[in-house]
Amino acid sequence: MSILIDKNTKVVVQGMTGKEGQKGAKAMLDYNTTVLCGVTPNKGGQEVEGKPIFNSVGEAKAQWPDLNTSVIYVPPFAAKAAILEAIEAGVALINVFTERIPIKDTAYCLAASQEKGARVLGPSSLGVINPGIGRLGVVGGPLVNEIFQPGSIGVVSRSGGMTNELSWSLRQAGLGQSAAVHVGGDLLMGTTYADVLRLFEKDANTKGVIIFGEHGGSYEFEIVEAIQKKEYTKPLAIFIGGKFASSLPEGMNIGHAGAIVERGKGAAEKAAALATVGVMIAEQYEDLVNLIKPYA
Amino acid sequence: MNLYEFEGKNLLAKHGIKTPRGVVVRRGDDFVSKYNELVKLGIKDVVVKAQVLSGKRGKNNGIKFCDNGEEVKKACEELFTLNIRGQYVAAILIEEKLAIAEEHYISIVYDTNKKQPCLIYSKQGGMDIEDVAEEKIEKVWLDIREENVVGVETLHATSLPIDELWKLFLNEDTRQVEINPLVKTKSGEWVAADAKIAIDDDAFFRHPSASSGPSVTDWTKFEPRTMLGRLPTSREIAVKKIDEGEKYYQGTAGKYIELDGDIAMILNGGGASIANMDALAQVGLKAANYTEYSGNPPREKVAALARIVLSKPGLKGLWMCGVVANFTNIKETFLGICDALDEIKPTYPIVVRRDGTESAAGFALLEECAKRNNLNIKMFKKETGMSATAQILAEMIEK
Repeated sequence: MSILIDKNTKVVVQGMTGKEGQKGAKAMLDYNTTVLCGVTPNKGGQEVEGKPIFNSVGEAKAQWPDLNTSVIYVPPFAAKAAILEAIEAGVALINVFTERIPIKDTAYCLAASQEKGARVLGPSSLGVINPGIGRLGVVGGPLVNEIFQPGSIGVVSRSGGMTNELSWSLRQAGLGQSAAVHVGGDLLMGTTYADVLRLFEKDANTKGVIIFGEHGGSYEFEIVEAIQKKEYTKPLAIFIGGKFASSLPEGMNIGHAGAIVERGKGAAEKAAALATVGVMIAEQYEDLVNLIKPYA
Repeated sequence: MNLYEFEGKNLLAKHGIKTPRGVVVRRGDDFVSKYNELVKLGIKDVVVKAQVLSGKRGKNNGIKFCDNGEEVKKACEELFTLNIRGQYVAAILIEEKLAIAEEHYISIVYDTNKKQPCLIYSKQGGMDIEDVAEEKIEKVWLDIREENVVGVETLHATSLPIDELWKLFLNEDTRQVEINPLVKTKSGEWVAADAKIAIDDDAFFRHPSASSGPSVTDWTKFEPRTMLGRLPTSREIAVKKIDEGEKYYQGTAGKYIELDGDIAMILNGGGASIANMDALAQVGLKAANYTEYSGNPPREKVAALARIVLSKPGLKGLWMCGVVANFTNIKETFLGICDALDEIKPTYPIVVRRDGTESAAGFALLEECAKRNNLNIKMFKKETGMSATAQILAEMIEK
């Protein structure tokens, strides 16, 4: 089993003619993920990484009706149109790599995706990897085979770097990952920690999950709720970064866009709330692997 | 970015929400003659309000009531000496005192759980909304795709300026708009007695300085600001410029917050960076700054950032600590770091921890740079954990 992607995943890369889009396509192909084609308006007919470019997702979908996943690498000012195009074309999973999309555009796309039943992963998400099965985006980068190997621990973070770093510490301890998901660091996100935990709950391969959390926002509190409702029942270990931020003025942003200093939503308060529902709390992110190892 | 009250009120007025008549004064202004401009309009009783970037001003002596020039002068002089809950007083707004009949509360913010904006309204305004009983607060979730507010018929009937506030929220790319109190005057008008507005920095490309017509607010005209209880430093202002321009989104290198410590920090990514700030504190060192770059920025951006970070006087160490990068190119970004080190040639200890694309080439460049400049540097790749290298830096500094 796996989460978010499987052997039937068929990918279109929106913005594949750009530098990062081409790198993304190559990263996926190198990891044996099925990338069917790319989309860039007005560049239909070109080829990138040996794959055809279409003018729109609709055109691509007409050619390949089983295309079910889009990865979006367009500049922030073009992101809203690209995401809406994928939603309209009926793509089920949309991974948005683009950073710094205006929040109004993100909210617009998330309202549209909810209506159509599409899942957005991101924005500002480097993607997801199911070791040995495939990856969306560039999680793991070129060192992917040194860092990832099939295993039983799920990894989730709002930080792309920490998604990698936690996965690496699992590997160093001789463990593997069932999947690693970068949900993105924006204030609004299409797929939250709690959403991913619900997926891991159903995934037979996953025996436990580690999360790198952070100060600001309320997404960690959604985890508390998911555990209370028994939507997630497997072992979970969390590190919450940003303790130093508690001395900064309220309303200040430090770290990801969603990491705004708010009383009651600091690293310490989140750790305390999670501990009350049995989540294991790490003092340093390096300790996460020791906490979860007995369950692997 | 949080706006000052007077800036927020300009936006409210632009969208048809009435605000009190007033003048803004700065340090060094002739406060009495500014007040007299209001007197000429027939205004005698005024409210004198410190302009700060975050809350609880009223409870902390940031607001004074006056009815003559001498009192206004005294009030302004006093307010400019204050630091209100850690916030620097950038300006003072002197405005007409309203004849208040009722004080209400209204705001629109993003609900991160529902991922849509939420209109929050209460008849109990003038106090912190957290202190108002839950049953006295009305919440209506809005759909960002709707140009007009729907589902608020009962509130519309009250003639509250909801449509105006929604237009402002949509067209000015705000993250939050709050009017507290929204005053109903004795003559029955709604007037915004305060304004707390935050704009979305990521939408700045829609609010350019070019002549885009009077309907677009020019965000480049907003004065530089920080929430750290002081004016922004020259370094903070300079770093912001790195990510400006047409290719602003190609990597992020425009983040620099100046702090009190003496360890220069060049970190990577929003998540690892905050964990590493915690790790530095755990080994007893103090950061001179918070800085990160991410998203594969080009050499020039990294070099510009590193030059500014290393220009702070009194540094005792440099910690360059980042994750195993997913897609940032280590060679390209280290070229930028080397450019800065070649110029500045620091003598204090340096610890580097990083890995990722072309890291072998990147570390080789850094090693050559260290040799030609006689740097006191230790370098680590992914085999060594990030937190462990904070301890190594602490030991090098102790020697």
